Amino acid sequence: MGTAAIKTANLSKNYGTVVALRGLELEVAEGEVVGFLGPNGAGKTTTIRLLLGLINPTAGRAEIFGLDCQREAVAAHRRLAYVPGEANLWPALTGAETLHLLGRVQGHTDAAYRDELIERFALDPSKKVRTYSKGNRQKLILIAALMSRAELLILDEPTSGLDPLMEQAFRHSISEAKERHQTVFLSSHILSEVEALCDRVGILREGELVEMGTLAEMRHLSALTVEATFDGSVPDLSKVPGVSSVEVTGRVVRCQVSGPVEPLLKVLSTARVHELLSREPSLEELFLAHYGPHGDAEDVPIHGG
Amino acid sequence: MPTTARTVTPRMSRFMEAEPRINLPATSEGRPSTMVGRLAARRSLRSGALWGVVFGVYIALQENAYVSAYPTAATRARVAATFGSNAGTNVLFGPANQLQTVGGFTEWKCIGIFSVLGAIWGLLLATKLLRGEEEAGRWELLLAGQTTRGRATLQVVIGSCCGFVALFAITAIFAAELGRSAKIEIGVSRSLLFALACVASAAMFLGIGALASQFGPTRRQAASYAAGVLGVSFVVRMVADTGSHLTWLRWLSPLGWVEEIQPLTHPQAWPLLLIAALTVISCGAAIRLAKVRDLDTSVISERAHPVERTRLLEGPWGLSLRLTRGVLTSWAIGIIAFSLILGLVAKSASSALGGSASVKRYYERLGINGVTTSDYLGLALLIVSVLVVFAAVGQVTAMRVEESTGRLEPLLVRPVSRRTWLGGRVGIAVAALISFGLLTALATWVGAVSQGAHVRFISLLEGGLNIVPPALCLLGLGVLALGVWPRATAFVAYGVLGWSFLVDVIGGAVNVNHWVLDTSVLHQMAAVPAVSPNWTAGAVLIGIGVIAALTGGVGFGLRDLVGD
Repeated sequence: MGTAAIKTANLSKNYGTVVALRGLELEVAEGEVVGFLGPNGAGKTTTIRLLLGLINPTAGRAEIFGLDCQREAVAAHRRLAYVPGEANLWPALTGAETLHLLGRVQGHTDAAYRDELIERFALDPSKKVRTYSKGNRQKLILIAALMSRAELLILDEPTSGLDPLMEQAFRHSISEAKERHQTVFLSSHILSEVEALCDRVGILREGELVEMGTLAEMRHLSALTVEATFDGSVPDLSKVPGVSSVEVTGRVVRCQVSGPVEPLLKVLSTARVHELLSREPSLEELFLAHYGPHGDAEDVPIHGG
Repeated sequence: MPTTARTVTPRMSRFMEAEPRINLPATSEGRPSTMVGRLAARRSLRSGALWGVVFGVYIALQENAYVSAYPTAATRARVAATFGSNAGTNVLFGPANQLQTVGGFTEWKCIGIFSVLGAIWGLLLATKLLRGEEEAGRWELLLAGQTTRGRATLQVVIGSCCGFVALFAITAIFAAELGRSAKIEIGVSRSLLFALACVASAAMFLGIGALASQFGPTRRQAASYAAGVLGVSFVVRMVADTGSHLTWLRWLSPLGWVEEIQPLTHPQAWPLLLIAALTVISCGAAIRLAKVRDLDTSVISERAHPVERTRLLEGPWGLSLRLTRGVLTSWAIGIIAFSLILGLVAKSASSALGGSASVKRYYERLGINGVTTSDYLGLALLIVSVLVVFAAVGQVTAMRVEESTGRLEPLLVRPVSRRTWLGGRVGIAVAALISFGLLTALATWVGAVSQGAHVRFISLLEGGLNIVPPALCLLGLGVLALGVWPRATAFVAYGVLGWSFLVDVIGGAVNVNHWVLDTSVLHQMAAVPAVSPNWTAGAVLIGIGVIAALTGGVGFGLRDLVGD
């Protein structure tokens, strides 16, 4: 097995007394597409800035393709491309001038692919950056990163400001990158985007990685949503072991089932069930279960073993 | 194997509970429609008050210096006879009237320099609060409130007036209080008129800055338009003050109008009408234009599809050159124009000054033994050196802006080391500062020789190079601040410049311990070509600058990148 594209060991960052990142252990294999989730302030951008060598860790270390992110930053940067959530570019340069400059600085540009991306993202590169909308600036920085065909793409909320059509163009580009065996590390708030693109997902919470796994693993370990419609009277499901969040609307009951479903099935078999639906949670539900108003990741972590 | 799943309980997560406590100030009681003005007032008051104190302290220093250096009527008469009709000093400080009085001397030494400083304050403030806010996108947020484009601009103008009033009030308090002294004896009404003359250009250039904000598509361009008006006004004022047959030109320059007030010698209130008219008209035009134009547009618009120029955009150094060339060219033009005029008046200035015992003593304080063309140029080049040091400070603050605005990141996340970027940026600044020294020498020599003055080019070349080390030293100190205390870069750079200037002014007026004088980067310069260059002092300054820059470079390489 080759060197990991990203590897961190006990990576930590404090700002004064504030702990931004605590002991991050992360490994992303070459060719993997990994999603990185977490609410605002969870430490996602701090992690990325540490990987890029823009800030120094308080403890621990990070490597890109085996290169130390601090001491060998320039060598590491030759192999990666980065897209920030907010593109701060030089307002007096045109889009074309910016792409020319960033391509020269990166050292490699696939000119044909660049032109294809300009067309795909419908960007007019002859305008000054100052006159671009937020979305167009984001397209520009996306094209600058993708056109390098770098081995590793580090994307920090890369689609902020893009319309749904451009969001599709972005997904298409990441799928292409995946086909080319490029590694993608994607921090995003758009859960459907992560769900559609990523092989594995990490969830960060208050500076700590609380989840890391494939979506299938996460779903398997999480609560099941069950919806039952009754012909007769509705039984009380709130006392059933493993059942929570019971909502009753007329003759329809919706609830969450954690752990074995057998106790619930026993109760349901005694009632007149007209229809029974069950489904795994979406990534959004998984995320909200951690961070939403009904979430409580503290009590029982999703990790089952 | 049974599946273990998590329990979802209907209560707030620990994360949600850990939200920081919100501790906002109580809701303001002000009317929503005046909030834009209140915000502008808040942002302008502090700088207005600060500059008011600077003006006041400077007035106090000049008045006290005069009464202690020229205590008798005879010494004062000699000063008046020497400087009263001298084109060379008039060009530098404006026309001198009644130098045998403390009022005349104060007026001469203060109004010229305050006109320039006040104008810079005014144009920077107005362009920051108007075009700067619009460029940053914050103006849009304010306009979404209970206001319109025209009303919001009016509010900013009114808010800026609060800063202006603070500037005037503090200057007036200092002037009036100093005037009560038995040694100075300047009446309250004259002191107030004097304070008004000191800050008049600030009012005019607040208006011009507001108007320029409607013309320039960026804050930088708006400020450069207003600075262009100031530069032309200054040059016209200088030319007008070179000889009596050109005095009429003063009416073409707003700075000339300020000179015409002559508050402590021949008080005239009516130039204030011209000043008020220019201020009101420019503010009114700015409000009108803001009302009729669309948000994020300007009267002078940029080309929608500019010609693509990638010649310099081959790497970080080329980008640095591309980003700084406009500013550096402007500095070069300003320094050339200023130096040329100094050269043009050098011969007449030195011949008028020659033979005066008091002038010789004045020059002796600077180590100059005689009053020749070279002697005058020695003094004049010291003033050019302040411009060059200013340019150095501007370069340092521009480097910090690249970092604080996040524009450094697109480079540093690519195979560009921090030291490569910083080295290129500092290298360009060093080359520019040395070029400024050489251009100063050349322009001064051309000006002087065209008037038949006998001054060797090699002497002026030494003089031009002599003014570079202080700028290099300050550049190095600024890079040190950038490396180890980035958020204080501008504070440190401008602070060292301000301190050096203040120490030099005080040192020129009263006896100050040499240890204090040595802390000024400006004090170390010899008045070349009047005296031989002190290359040792220059080498020490450069050495300090190099060590500071290297230390700053190491710090910059090791620290986190930080925003504002």
